[in-house]
This record gives sequence, structure tokens and C-alpha cells, in this order.
Amino acid sequence: MNSNCPINEHLNRRSLLKSSLVTASGASLMNWGGLFSSDAHAAEAGKKNKHCILIWLNGGCSQFETFDMKIGRPTGGLFRDISTNTGESRVCELMPNIAQRMDKLAVIRSMKTSQIDHPGGIYLMHTGYQETAAVRFPEIGAIVAKYCGEKKSDLPNFVKISSNGNAGAGIIGPQYSPFSLDKDGRLPTFSESYLATPIETRRHGLRDFMEERYAKAHKAEPARMHRESYDRARRLQNVRQAFDVDSEWEKYRDRYGNSKLGRRLMTARCLVEAGVSFVEVGQSGYDTHADNFEGHKSLVPTMDIGWAALLDDLSERGLLQDTLVVWMGEIGRTPRINNRSGRDHYVRSWSTALAGAGVKGGIVYGESDKDGIDVKDKPVTEGDFFGTVYTALGINPLEENYAGVRPIPLAPFGHTVVKEILA
Amino acid sequence: MEISKPAHIWQLSFDGDWPTSVAFLGSSRKLAAGSRDGRIFVWDLPESPPESQEKDTPPDAAPVRQLVGHENGVTHLIATDDGKTLISSSLDRTIRIWDVNAEATGKGDVILDKPARERLSNRKSAAEKAAILEAPGATVETIGSQHTLEGHKDWIKALGISADGRRLISGDDTCLTIVWNLQTKKQIASWHGYQRVWVTSAALSPDGKTAFVGEFAGRRSSFDVPAAQARLWDAQKGQMTLDLLKVWTPTVKDEDRVDSYGYGQAWGKLLSRGLVCARFSPDGTLLAVGQGGETDKGQIHLVNVESGKIERTVSGHQSGACDVRFSADGRLVLSSGRDTVIRVCQVADGKEIATLGKARGGQFKDWFYGIAISPDEQFVAAADIAGLVHVWQLNS
Repeated sequence: MNSNCPINEHLNRRSLLKSSLVTASGASLMNWGGLFSSDAHAAEAGKKNKHCILIWLNGGCSQFETFDMKIGRPTGGLFRDISTNTGESRVCELMPNIAQRMDKLAVIRSMKTSQIDHPGGIYLMHTGYQETAAVRFPEIGAIVAKYCGEKKSDLPNFVKISSNGNAGAGIIGPQYSPFSLDKDGRLPTFSESYLATPIETRRHGLRDFMEERYAKAHKAEPARMHRESYDRARRLQNVRQAFDVDSEWEKYRDRYGNSKLGRRLMTARCLVEAGVSFVEVGQSGYDTHADNFEGHKSLVPTMDIGWAALLDDLSERGLLQDTLVVWMGEIGRTPRINNRSGRDHYVRSWSTALAGAGVKGGIVYGESDKDGIDVKDKPVTEGDFFGTVYTALGINPLEENYAGVRPIPLAPFGHTVVKEILA
Repeated sequence: MEISKPAHIWQLSFDGDWPTSVAFLGSSRKLAAGSRDGRIFVWDLPESPPESQEKDTPPDAAPVRQLVGHENGVTHLIATDDGKTLISSSLDRTIRIWDVNAEATGKGDVILDKPARERLSNRKSAAEKAAILEAPGATVETIGSQHTLEGHKDWIKALGISADGRRLISGDDTCLTIVWNLQTKKQIASWHGYQRVWVTSAALSPDGKTAFVGEFAGRRSSFDVPAAQARLWDAQKGQMTLDLLKVWTPTVKDEDRVDSYGYGQAWGKLLSRGLVCARFSPDGTLLAVGQGGETDKGQIHLVNVESGKIERTVSGHQSGACDVRFSADGRLVLSSGRDTVIRVCQVADGKEIATLGKARGGQFKDWFYGIAISPDEQFVAAADIAGLVHVWQLNS
């Protein structure tokens, strides 16, 4: 186990005692190993008031058409590179806006991960773990919600907008499950009660009364989950206006690009500003087995405009220093261009990027070989990546949650935090 | 054009990135081909093909000239009737005009037959293998372009010429269409479509007065923009004269012609992943357009230019069409696609009367990208993404 985030930096005496007392009282009997874990740590991380926006490139964005171009090589493809505002690195011509914000980004060009297909890759790059039958690993969004979220907030702490994570909150509990908005970033229609407020309030009161009696007699987890879900839905009604970004969109439409993705990204900014700890924004269509170049040409410019606008907007509002913006998909794409003018799945060498929350800007970490076939220098595994992300968010990646009596660290055992990109 | 027992007589090696385009240069024995790495070569073929070095494979020949200038993929080649001028469009955002007989400016050595060398060297001794693989390549004369037409700011994927060779039309990925006067090299008209929509095909009527432009957005990412268009324009004024999609989908209300699911379903059947090739018939009454991108059928629509109605849908290339041509008498339409064949169909009844080539590859076949018909209509050539240029004699 290796991390640059020692446990004593994240646990003070009060938290230790609190955790010990809870355990000693038997309140968390099955979680006996959690002496140093869970709520006390979450409270500590939460004090740092960090947020995270994940830009999820569903299907697997090509590293060759973004941050790891191989101009003049057989694997290079049809796009050309452009200079960036750091003066050193070069990026694809499809990203002129991000090129001018490279000073804010840490690009990892040496991702080397273990799941090559979509379901496995999506799970892996949302949890840091390969899917197993024995453990329901929580997604990054759920973890950030737990460790950085404001528990008493009426807002959900984990919001998804048109994205594809498939693991949910897993072992850390349903209270950290994602709340999904529709593809335009609006509240789903089912979130609104069809009853008048007084009637709805009376119904809640009656339900509470019934459930409280039931809960006294039955200590079962499903009962708690049921109450939790209803309570969250009821509390959401108090903050519906936070999701109404129509007027904001009119102001920022051009800045974010007049696209669905632009609106989603602006919504993410609004939600972070309102206090949501984790927002995942998806852009689908990167699985370009055919017509890879046209595919990326249709997707990347929209993303470039929206992502650049998001970074600027967060920065201008003073939010970027506490908001980690993660850019990634589940896989990269093959160096070889197939006979459909496409690139297939690839995980031996691909790219991700981070910005904000103390991540050093203007950094390109790692390197692939001349044709992008393998990592030449400084490989970063999924474990290393999640360890780094959690560390940037002030969450100890060694923190453990429990699947029964089995301790599960947030980032897999053996990971190495990429210290070079953290301030 | 007559076709009787067509024979595959040349298989020219063009190793590297994909050959995309081919054009005969005033003769059935002189042709040019361009590729996706920006190279253009010219071949002078002997009257009678020599015996092939490989069994069941037509003979190869080395190019004699290389046209040097493009810095990214060549998308189309068009030769004037006299064969002296070649026009190329490119992903490097330029159109170049070449005097193919101009005095050479240099020389170079090229190896375009690496896969064939590797096949021939199989099971040879080490010495023989080395001799084959390391043998000198072809020596080619190099020339630069005569003119460069600049005005596009993104990939140029559409190029067409009027029958009299006086006007050229080009379209790019900023949805800019330009009509050029080829004598003055100046723009006659230009117009823009929607943002984030690409011009995927363009053609000029024989008299150069009417333009067809096909547009397509690779991804439906905007709120208010219809993702595909097929329109006729006044090429002189740059004014739209007929919205073909409105003719083809008469029940759709104008206000619904945005990025809606319902409209997407309607145009999707007609345009599939966009119309990627277009050509007017020699008499200008018909327009042939082909469904491209990776799509099931890759059909060719024959459109009545006056009414805008689809008169007939012919042929079909599994996984998408790439290029289309009419015979000089307008009786036949030839198309190529992602199924490694050229299909020849009768315009009158849509009957397919011949295919050139045969499917190659696994689940997804190699593409025949661009096609060309020789001036005497005795030969047809195709650019094959497997690094080859094929020539068929139509009557053997």
C-alpha cells in the first residue's frame, strides 16, 4: 500500500474518539473494523468543502484525437496538432479552447488499465475496481458524496446528467446513490409531485407515522432505505429552484456552446455552486469503431467549448480551487485504424485529464511510445488514478469501508498516488 | 457505355494510407490517384498489361510522377476533359490545380508495393528475402501545383465540376460551400449552412447553373439545428431553389424540422448517415445521390432535378456508398461503396447489370472509395482502401 496521504493527516483526536465510541457501543457492529473509517473521516473530508465534476466520455474517447497525437506515424490519423498556452505540449486541432487552458490541466498520457470492454470499463473507471460478485464497490460519485457532501443538505450530493456509471453507491449505502437528471440537465418529470403541497405534506406525515412504528419493530436495512428514499424525495422539493437553470442558460448559452452538452456542463457548475458535491456529466458516442475521425470531429469540438467554459466559469467564481474537474472515459482507442476508418477499444496506453482542486496545471504526465502502442514512461493504473483523484479531493484513498467484515479501501491496495500532479 | 465480360486488368500498388480518389487524365492509360496521407501519383500505363508476377492477381505498375503539395488527405480528384489539368481537394483545407504535364521540379524514390514484396518474399531464403524487400522503389518525377484555391477553413470533403469545366463547387466542414470560376480562380458565390453541420457532397449541373449540396451533422448535439440537409441552389446567386427534404417528407411541418426524434426518423431513412456523393446526369435532368457513413443499405437515389422527387432508388452498398457516376449517355449509373464492389445499374429500371470487384474482408468489407470512368468509357478505375488502385476493362 502506498499513498502520499498519511492517515494522521485526516483524523484528529475528536474524530478518533467519536469513531471509537460508536464502535464500542455496538452501533456499528458489522462495521467493527471501521475504527478509523466512515463518518468520522467523512466529516473531516467534508470540512474541506471539495467538489468534483466528472466529464464522462462514454464509449472511450481517442487519445490520438485529443491529447496524445502521433503526427506522421501510421497510427496518427487525420488531425493535426496545435500549440497550447503552456508553450510545450501540443493537442489536437479539435480542441483550440482547451489548448488555451492547458495551464490549468494535468494530462495523464500513460493510463494503463485492465478492462477493455464497455461494461467492465465503465465499472472500473467509476469505482477503481473490477466488478466482482462478492463486493458492490461504490462509484466515485457516491464516495465523494459520502466524504465531501453536506449531509443535511436538501440537495442530492451525487448528481448524474446523462451519464453512464453502473455501480451506484454499493457498500456505502443507498443514501449516497446518484440522482439522475434528464439529458438536458432538467429534473426528471417523476420528481414533481402531482399532488398539491398540503396534501403531499399530509401524506408524508402519515407515511412517517406508519414507518416509524414499523422501524421500531424492524431494524432491517430495507426499511431504512425506504424511509431514506422518501425523505430525500421530499427534501428535494425544497430545492427545486436549484435545478431551474433556464435563465442562466440564456446568459451562458454562447459561452458553453449552444449544445446539449454545454447546457449539462453549465448545469453542473450551477449545482456545484449550490453545494452539490459531485456532478457527473456524460457525453456519449465515442465508441467509434467506424468513422472514428468524423465521430471525434462531431463530438470533441462541442466538448472542447463546454469544458473550457466550465473551467473559466468555475475559476471566475472562485470555485475551481475547490472543484476537481475530471475528464475521462472508460477506455482509450487502438493505435491501428481498422477498415471501417475506425479505432477499436484499447487500454494499454490512453489519456485522462484533471484540473482544479489543487491539481497542478500545465503538466503532461507520462508518455506513450512513438506509435502510441504502449506506455513508455510512468504508467498509471486505475488504482493510481483513483488514489490521485481522492487525494486531490482531500479524501484518504486508504480509507476503508466494509463489505461485511472485509475492509475495502477507497482506492485498491497497492496504488500509487501521482504526487507530481498534485500541488 | 457497354459492358460485356469486364476484366480486371491492372492492380496498382499504392501502399500507405488509404487511396481515396482516382481520375483518368484524358486517356485510358494515364491516371492519377490520391490518398489519405496527401500523396498524389500519376501512372502512365502501357497499352498491353504485362504478365503478372503473382498468380490470380492483375499486373502492377509503378507511377511516373508525384504531385507534391497537399499536407493532409486528398478527398477528391477531378480531371478536365483534355486530361491536362487535375483538380484535387484535401483535408488540408485547400484545393489545388495541377498541370500534370508541367516540367518536373525534382525526382524522388517511392516504394508503394511493400505488401506485395512481403508476399513475394514469403518462404524465400534470407538473402532472397532481403533482395526483394530492399530492392529500389520507383523513381518518380515530382511537380508542384499550379494554383491553390484558398477560402475554406476546414476539411474539404465535397468537390464537383460543371460539364464545361468552367465552374467548380467545393464544400467543407464549417458548412461553407463555394462556387469557383475556374478560369479566373475567383469565387462566384458562397454560402453557409448551419453551425456544426458538414458539407458532405456537392455537385454542379452540366451548365454550372444549379448546385446540389448535401449536409450532415455527425452528431446531433445542438438544440435547434436539423442534422441533415439536401438542397438545390442557384450556383450564381447562392440562393436555395429547392429543399429536397421538404419534397421527400411532405407531411412534416416546417416548425418540426429541427433536431427532433420524429424528424430524425424521417430523414434518417432517406439520407442515412448523410449523402456523401452526388452527380448530375449528363443532360442535367437527374441527380444521383448516395447514402454514406456506415449504414445498412448505402442506397443511391435518382432524383428528378425539376420536381425534386426521388424517381428511383437503385443498387445499394452494404455498409454505405462512397462515390457515384453516370455514363456519358446517362443510361447507366455506377456506384462504389464499403462492400468492395462497383455496381452498375440501369437508370431506366434500376436493374443492376454488372458488378466490378468482389467483397473482401471480414464482417466489414474493404471500401472502394472513389471511382473514375475513362474518356472512351472502356475502362473503370477504383481507389481501394487496401492500398490499391484497380482498373477494369469493360469489354474484354
